Amino acid sequence: MPAGSGPMAGFLVLEGVSKSFGSVRAVESVSLAIERGEFFSLLGPSGCGKTTLLRVIAGLERPDAGRVLLDDQDITALPANKRKVNTIFQSYALFPHMTVRENVAFGLKVAKRPASEIEREVERMLALVQMQDQADKRPALLSGGQKQRVAVARALINRPQVLLLDEPLASLDLKLRQRMLLELDLIHDEVGITFLYVTHDQGEAMSLSDRIAVMNRGRVEQVGTPAQVYEAPRSSFVAAFIGDTNFFEGHVVELVNAEYSRIAIDGLPPLLSFNDTAKQPGMPVYLSVRPEKLRILREAPVPDGRHNVLAARVEDVVYLGTHTRFWVRAGAHRVAVFQQQGRFLLDERPVRWGDDVWISWHADDGFMIERFSEADGGLVERPPQKIGEEPSAISEAAAGDSKE
Amino acid sequence: MRRSRFPLLVTVAVIVFFYLPILVLVVNSFNASRFGSSWQGFSLRWYAGLVTEREIWAALRVTLIVAVSATAVSAVLGTTAALAMHRHRTRLQRFHSLLIAVPLVMPEILIGISLLLLFAIIGLGLGIFSIFLAHVTFCLSFVAIVVLGRLEGFDESLLEAARDLGATWWTATWRVLLPLLAPGIAAGALLAFTLSIDDFVITFFVAGPGATTLPIRIYSMIKHGSPPLISALSTLLLVVTLVAVWLSQRLIERRA
Amino acid sequence: MSTATPRKTGEWPLTLPSMVWLAVLVLVPALIVFVVAFRSADPYGGVGARWTLDTLRDLARESYLLIGWRTVYLSLLTTTLCLLFATPMAYFMARVSERWRHVLLLLVVVPFWTSFLVRIFAWKVVLHPEGLLKRALAALHLVSPEATLLYNPGAVLLVMVYISLPFAILPIYAAAERFDFSLLEAARDLGAGSLTAFRSVFMPGIRRGLASAALLVFIPSLGSYIVPDIVGGPRSEMIGNVIAQRVFSDRNLPHAGALSAVLTLLVLAPMLAALVLRSPQEEIPARRAGPG
Repeated sequence: MPAGSGPMAGFLVLEGVSKSFGSVRAVESVSLAIERGEFFSLLGPSGCGKTTLLRVIAGLERPDAGRVLLDDQDITALPANKRKVNTIFQSYALFPHMTVRENVAFGLKVAKRPASEIEREVERMLALVQMQDQADKRPALLSGGQKQRVAVARALINRPQVLLLDEPLASLDLKLRQRMLLELDLIHDEVGITFLYVTHDQGEAMSLSDRIAVMNRGRVEQVGTPAQVYEAPRSSFVAAFIGDTNFFEGHVVELVNAEYSRIAIDGLPPLLSFNDTAKQPGMPVYLSVRPEKLRILREAPVPDGRHNVLAARVEDVVYLGTHTRFWVRAGAHRVAVFQQQGRFLLDERPVRWGDDVWISWHADDGFMIERFSEADGGLVERPPQKIGEEPSAISEAAAGDSKE
Repeated sequence: MRRSRFPLLVTVAVIVFFYLPILVLVVNSFNASRFGSSWQGFSLRWYAGLVTEREIWAALRVTLIVAVSATAVSAVLGTTAALAMHRHRTRLQRFHSLLIAVPLVMPEILIGISLLLLFAIIGLGLGIFSIFLAHVTFCLSFVAIVVLGRLEGFDESLLEAARDLGATWWTATWRVLLPLLAPGIAAGALLAFTLSIDDFVITFFVAGPGATTLPIRIYSMIKHGSPPLISALSTLLLVVTLVAVWLSQRLIERRA
Repeated sequence: MSTATPRKTGEWPLTLPSMVWLAVLVLVPALIVFVVAFRSADPYGGVGARWTLDTLRDLARESYLLIGWRTVYLSLLTTTLCLLFATPMAYFMARVSERWRHVLLLLVVVPFWTSFLVRIFAWKVVLHPEGLLKRALAALHLVSPEATLLYNPGAVLLVMVYISLPFAILPIYAAAERFDFSLLEAARDLGAGSLTAFRSVFMPGIRRGLASAALLVFIPSLGSYIVPDIVGGPRSEMIGNVIAQRVFSDRNLPHAGALSAVLTLLVLAPMLAALVLRSPQEEIPARRAGPG
């Protein structure tokens, strides 16, 4: 989403929003266009500015520059209590001196709706989040998951045009988190309003969102569907932050033909990558290959001009049932390969530590990322790779691994 | 680690030091002797005498009137002051905080005489009203300090949530902040009430001939009266205070 | 002005009530005290009509200087004694178990809740020339039978310490409670004796509490009036007594004002010193939403 390219179409639009706290630039010239009814996530590590952005949209912070538009109306100067936007806070912020019922009714009470309407709506909301039995309890007696449901009911009862969620699952344990993820998804489908979800957990973002904005150091690095962001990351940060990937440092040598470019990597034979014409010869790049796109073979495959093949030695093997993770050494590079167990494993001779093998991947399956960034003033540092280290604990695909 | 006995000894000595005179006082109040210097048998005559001392009851009435009204006003003013100091960090608030701090550190005699001079110059007659004004002045600061302490630990996200749900600042304050701050305000008010009832020096300066509070009456009794009578009154006050403290502790525990 | 974060609105309505009240009833009267010192005395007991420096010249009388010196000296002595007793006690309280701590705190605070006058009067009874204490001491030949324990600077000092001790114990205890006692163990481990460790590790560690205690005792002591009035004699008058005399017996308000001005200056000196010497990290950080 190019910044400053004229008015953007969308239900919730941010134009060039910037916010600093003292000398810290929390958000720098962020522009986003979110569709009506979308489940949109702001994903990034702590300190990337996602919560600040959320608070600007909520009206709890005033941006230093830029505009916020909701349904074609400029709400930048509108105070928080007048916006048709409601927030689920990370700590839920339930009023401790009120019961669940009173908490949920708060927004309507403040809007001075008639008592009969309030009662009706409160019952409806409690039914939606299944908290009818706890309606007269105080928040102190509720569990984390219950508090979250009350917070959701309290927000939705006001029929906001956008629901903002600030890392709502962060304080829950793993099992509960998975359950609440599904619940949030269901609620979104049922209610149909725009959700803006802030998280540092890529698993949450990927499993819930229609689209994700990946943020880093106050800027949006990429906006796209989960598949787009995963399969076609635009920057090394995005490539490393979402999922795992291998990085090969090098520079573009030449364009082999209309389809492929050749990249020279230190210590390895030159590799092929699909022809991304934006990357010209001489340009320093990362070649990024996700571990599941690689295959391990016992014998050198027949070269076909489309696959990259490297000789390697197996250094680590982690058997995880559905797939096996290998770490192999090719030249000076430690490469991760995740191989799914498609067939009954015990029939085959398993690959072991110390085995000499070949790894191979199709040139279409790697992607080139620029290694030079003017905004960062030079060559981009290779992002810290988790793959070189011990594998993290087993987790279900839906929840994913939690990042920093 | 070799524990020196010295701190323990000092502690015990100090505690004994604290309670010795009070004990003597209580014992003496049952002393039948008029001059209080030697024990002449157990007697309740001084307590009986207290009941008939009309001046004591009048003084008690004045004390309570002043205490209740001063507590009410200083609770309101102290709370608004604390809210101002907590919410805003401006130069105005620094000046404000300085003003709040002055009655806390200024010796009572200075507060007393400066108020007396003020009243003398503007021609305000000395009486219950002048005492009331003086009491609010020093109670205000104490309430502010107590409430400010409670505000420091307050969860701001609750107020943000209220605003997010459509409340104006005023509604958020009235429906969320004040109900949760109420125990703190009550603690401040209790402190103010205690200070007001017990105050002597400041009250003495601004009371004038018309109004006598209980401490002033006690003082004149000390100067001119009989020791056992004062002992009896003191013991009664002691008991009342202890019961009040015990009650407030129970109330606090109930709420928790 | 409706802003998204209207922290600036609403400041004045919240601030004005208390600020105006205190400005009128604290600031203005304080100024009046200084102004009145320059007026003549009205024969009927009010403030006179003339401006004059006579009142101030009177202050230079030797008897006043003696009283002023005695006030400072007694206050300093009271402060020292209070710190001397409060520190070991606070040390003890900070080291005992939670339950005992609660008990001790209660024991310290309960006398505090009783009437101030009553406590002073209690000492008058105890120190009475025909009271038990005096007779016991006389029987032990520690004092002569004609001596009075009351009505001298010693009695004043004793009662001032009695009244001020809780004000010293509480802040020192608060500081001691936060003190990391493993530092003392480290000091012992490195060879320091218990007294050295106490002096060079514990005391500096609680210096904030010590400073607060010193101020909380010294400044009110300077303004002592009731204690020397009830248990003191003519040889133990303090500035407070003289001010009260001028107001109630002599009805000389300008004199009282002048003396009060002097007392105010005496009080300001240690407070300014404290402000200057205190490290500037007293500012409470503002709670703002940081970058997320």
